[in-house]
Amino acid sequence: MRPIENVINRLELTIFRHRVFVIILFLLMSVFLGYQATQIKLDAAFTKNIPLNHEYMQTYLKHRADFGGANNVLISVCNQEGDIFNENFFTSLKGVHDKLFFIPGVERTQVNSLFSPSTRFIEVVEDGFAGGPVVPADFVADEAGLAIVKGNIEKAGVVGRIVADNYSCAMVKAVLMENDPETGEKLDVIEIASKLENDIRQEYEKDGITVHIIGFSKMVGDVANGAKGVVTFFLIAIAITTVMVYLFSKSIALTILPIACSLIAVIWQLGLLSTMGFGLDPMSILVPFLVFAIGVSHGVQMINSIGKKVALGLKSKQAAEYAFRVLAIPGGIALLSDTVGFITLLSIDIGIIRELAIAASLGVGIIILTNLILLPVLVSFINIKAEKVKTPSKAQAAYQTNQEPALWRFMQSFSERNVAAVVLVVAAILFGLGFHYSKQLKIGELHAGAPSLHEHSRYNQDTFLITDRYAISVDYMSVIVETTANACTNPDVLKTMDSFQWKMENIAGVQSAVSLPSVMKIINSGYYEGNLKWRIISPNQYALAQALSNIPSSTGLLNNDCSVMPVILFLQDHKAETINRVVDAAKIAIAELNNDLVTFKLASGPIGVMAATNEAVEQAQTPMMIYVYGAVIILCWLSFKSIKAVVSVVVPLFIVSTLAQWLMTVLDIGLTVSTLPVIALGVGIGVDYGIYILSTMTQRLSAGDNVQQAYLAALKERGIAVLITGVTLAIGVSTWFFSDLKFQVDMGILLTFMFLVNMLAAVTILPAIAAFLWKKQK
Amino acid sequence: MIKIFLLVVSIIISQGSYAAPLSTEAIISPLAKDSLLLDIENVNEQFLIAVGVRGHILRSTDGENWQQMPSPTQTTLTSVTFVNGRHGWAVGHDAIILHSQDAGLTWQIQHENPQLEVPFLHVHFKDEKSGVAVGSYGLFYRTIDGGKTWQQEFHLSLLIEEDIEYLDELKREDEAAYLSERSRILPHFNRFYQDGRTAYLVGELGLIAKSNNFGENWERMEDVYHGSFYDINRTQKGNLLTVGLRGNVFRSISNGNNWENTPIETTALLNNIVLYQGDVVFLLGNNGVLLKSVDDGLTFTLDTQADGKALLAGVIFKEKLIVASEVGIKVIQVTP
Repeated sequence: MRPIENVINRLELTIFRHRVFVIILFLLMSVFLGYQATQIKLDAAFTKNIPLNHEYMQTYLKHRADFGGANNVLISVCNQEGDIFNENFFTSLKGVHDKLFFIPGVERTQVNSLFSPSTRFIEVVEDGFAGGPVVPADFVADEAGLAIVKGNIEKAGVVGRIVADNYSCAMVKAVLMENDPETGEKLDVIEIASKLENDIRQEYEKDGITVHIIGFSKMVGDVANGAKGVVTFFLIAIAITTVMVYLFSKSIALTILPIACSLIAVIWQLGLLSTMGFGLDPMSILVPFLVFAIGVSHGVQMINSIGKKVALGLKSKQAAEYAFRVLAIPGGIALLSDTVGFITLLSIDIGIIRELAIAASLGVGIIILTNLILLPVLVSFINIKAEKVKTPSKAQAAYQTNQEPALWRFMQSFSERNVAAVVLVVAAILFGLGFHYSKQLKIGELHAGAPSLHEHSRYNQDTFLITDRYAISVDYMSVIVETTANACTNPDVLKTMDSFQWKMENIAGVQSAVSLPSVMKIINSGYYEGNLKWRIISPNQYALAQALSNIPSSTGLLNNDCSVMPVILFLQDHKAETINRVVDAAKIAIAELNNDLVTFKLASGPIGVMAATNEAVEQAQTPMMIYVYGAVIILCWLSFKSIKAVVSVVVPLFIVSTLAQWLMTVLDIGLTVSTLPVIALGVGIGVDYGIYILSTMTQRLSAGDNVQQAYLAALKERGIAVLITGVTLAIGVSTWFFSDLKFQVDMGILLTFMFLVNMLAAVTILPAIAAFLWKKQK
Repeated sequence: MIKIFLLVVSIIISQGSYAAPLSTEAIISPLAKDSLLLDIENVNEQFLIAVGVRGHILRSTDGENWQQMPSPTQTTLTSVTFVNGRHGWAVGHDAIILHSQDAGLTWQIQHENPQLEVPFLHVHFKDEKSGVAVGSYGLFYRTIDGGKTWQQEFHLSLLIEEDIEYLDELKREDEAAYLSERSRILPHFNRFYQDGRTAYLVGELGLIAKSNNFGENWERMEDVYHGSFYDINRTQKGNLLTVGLRGNVFRSISNGNNWENTPIETTALLNNIVLYQGDVVFLLGNNGVLLKSVDDGLTFTLDTQADGKALLAGVIFKEKLIVASEVGIKVIQVTP
């Protein structure tokens, strides 16, 4: 007897001899972790979503203190009837400005609107300049006061930036800090989002005034709200799964136990996360589903095995012990490969994916305990009535009478060489097509608006409104210029920046751009009576110093000693191809323009973050696939010690992964932070089917059966369970189709596909490969 | 000694800025036709040439489709003129003067002096040989050989009495200070306009002057306004019109005497006067200001362009007003 089986036997003896103790242990743990699970918080931090070690993000972090970075809030206050010049509107705008100003975590020096003192106008008069705040200190919202403000707005040139092009809206902008200034702790973005919603939108959106809020924090808040809908889906998934398991087992006890054990796994997982100090991120809120679904699928294998033994007349305790012994290895290996599949995600340097990896691998690890140990122990206490199990589904009835059902006969044919050849040819063609089209898989977000949310969501509608009515957008990228101190008065530096800006403005997808030189040029012409013939970078450093005196560092165009300046590029959208085009062009321009004095660095701003994320995802893709397949191959080798077995399991998996990428191109789903993990999850879980089927087959093969006999035996032994498993998993994730969150829908579609098609591949392609790998024996 | 040192320093500094690490030729860019353009010329109804920032030179034969021409400079060009279907000049910052002898298809640098740190603001030629380029701080260059050589002139007669006395005094005391002061004391010359035998010059500090010998001697006219003038033109009826800062329009029916202010509805800077058929006159200004007069400049009606972008210069071409503007070429439909 092999050493590993020795261990299993010993484990079995120990566990089943101390059944009560085992149950008490699980009970205590459940009480403790259950309490911990109630303490878990929704948690979303900006930095978790970005690849912090990426070159761009290093630049972003380095200069975040000076330029605020990418975590900002834009609130557009709009008048539905007519323009902004009425008392009601200005009262609301002032209210929004003040409310936002006083929200803790808002960088107060950078709150910008018509009401901020830094919003000034400058006008040329015969003897020089006249200027002042756009909204004067003594502003009264009467006809005269509004007329003055209207004139000032035109002179200040803020139309398109903080006043809508058609004067129907005005903007309040703010930047959020990373830490709460009062507590020093990480800023609670979701809390900010709820303040924005309750204190600002709820309060001021009335009487024809609408309030449109966008920015990372609001988006996360909306995602978190959408994620709460997950609870409903979870309940639906539980209900459907329960029905499925009951139809399979025809026994209430055998239905409740696997479900309960899987739920215990979920509770433990949440409890452990909370104990370890993790929160539940909206992005990883799907992990409990996976854990539950995987738990149930293994539970089904367990009760399948037990049920069959009981039907043969064994007592439930013996049946449970038997099932434990038979399933410990394939179940353990399968769950271990799931875990490893998830752990490979740790190789991706994005906080949120790592959290997902930790949460998921933890959950699956727990299933080994709950469903491979607790479940059989619990079942062993139950007195299962044999006759109840004796009238199960047709398949089992057939099993009892030793007649193969038509379905198994049909499926057995996949292991006959002539049929297998057809299966393999079809699979090869599909793979070829899939491989060809998967080359078109795009990295990054393919749609406008916040990709996590649906297009019709309030957030995205607000985004569309703001990008439509203003010349600015949230889709901007800051290219950081590093130079020497006081470089603002060096015409060479400014001209180099100006050249870069012009090169970039000419790239399709760049809507507009702004930088210190572009503003200084405008100010320079202001010093010459507003004559545009003087809209130049003055060659004279005193003239430059004079122009500069009008630009405080709060504009975000320069730091305090003027050694760092951004060139801000506003993009049409954040589609992957737009970002790629702009980033590629920027790299070319940078290579051309970098010199001893000036270094251009990519990139801050939301697009900089996305570009970095896309690059990180792209770079992670291949290593992740290598790791996950490497792990699966090693685990298969360890459990089967046969190259043939490894090939039979891994080839169908690989075909399905390729088809999944094809599906992504067909459905216009890009490879993103949320869809990248799906491939690892799909492979990790998809391998279960192959392992279960092949574990029976290899036993039979080594006992002297031919491939067809071995496959038929595997079908009889596990066929129903494998089908049920696939369907159960698919149901668990397919409820996500109805999620408020676009990324959950995408993940749901892909995972459903992976689960179902992997199952189909395991019962079609796997036996077909086996038919050619194992010699005919008779 | 200190002075010599300063001189040396200033030479080094200016050479430093001259050796800027930028390529000199203008970049051919898709957006050149949408960039800030500062002047436009209608050459014999055959083609149009517009010039502007970054050395952009654009050419069109129909007013709708524009091609960017290769340009030997990235310096902002402020003014362009053609004397016939072949010969044209463009001027701009860094005291640059470009010349084309093939109808604007190719351009060569005739003069350039970045160290001066002053721009030319307007250029005018009366024939293939004789031309004048004027600019800031009284910058005044003349050629009589088609631009092969240029001579600088100082028209101190355009100064007010006090300044002339001050300069005389300085010249006696300190020659270097005098030279330095002389290069900055004159007002900006914004436009040199030739009307038959008479030439007019308008500019900063209410400058309106006229000359009967193509700018060799100037006679300053009465002061009517202390802000800048940007354009002067004689209407079809033979009256003089000048426009400038803060919506100032002045009209003289007696050849530059008795200027009268024409009240208009805007305080925007007015850049250019465009004459159309009959008594129709257009004024182009900043903030999208387009003024139209149908009575020879006596009264104007305001038609602000929706985008509020500055209109710098315009020409009538094929019954349309083609404008060099802050956002490139604009074609505005006009009616007599």
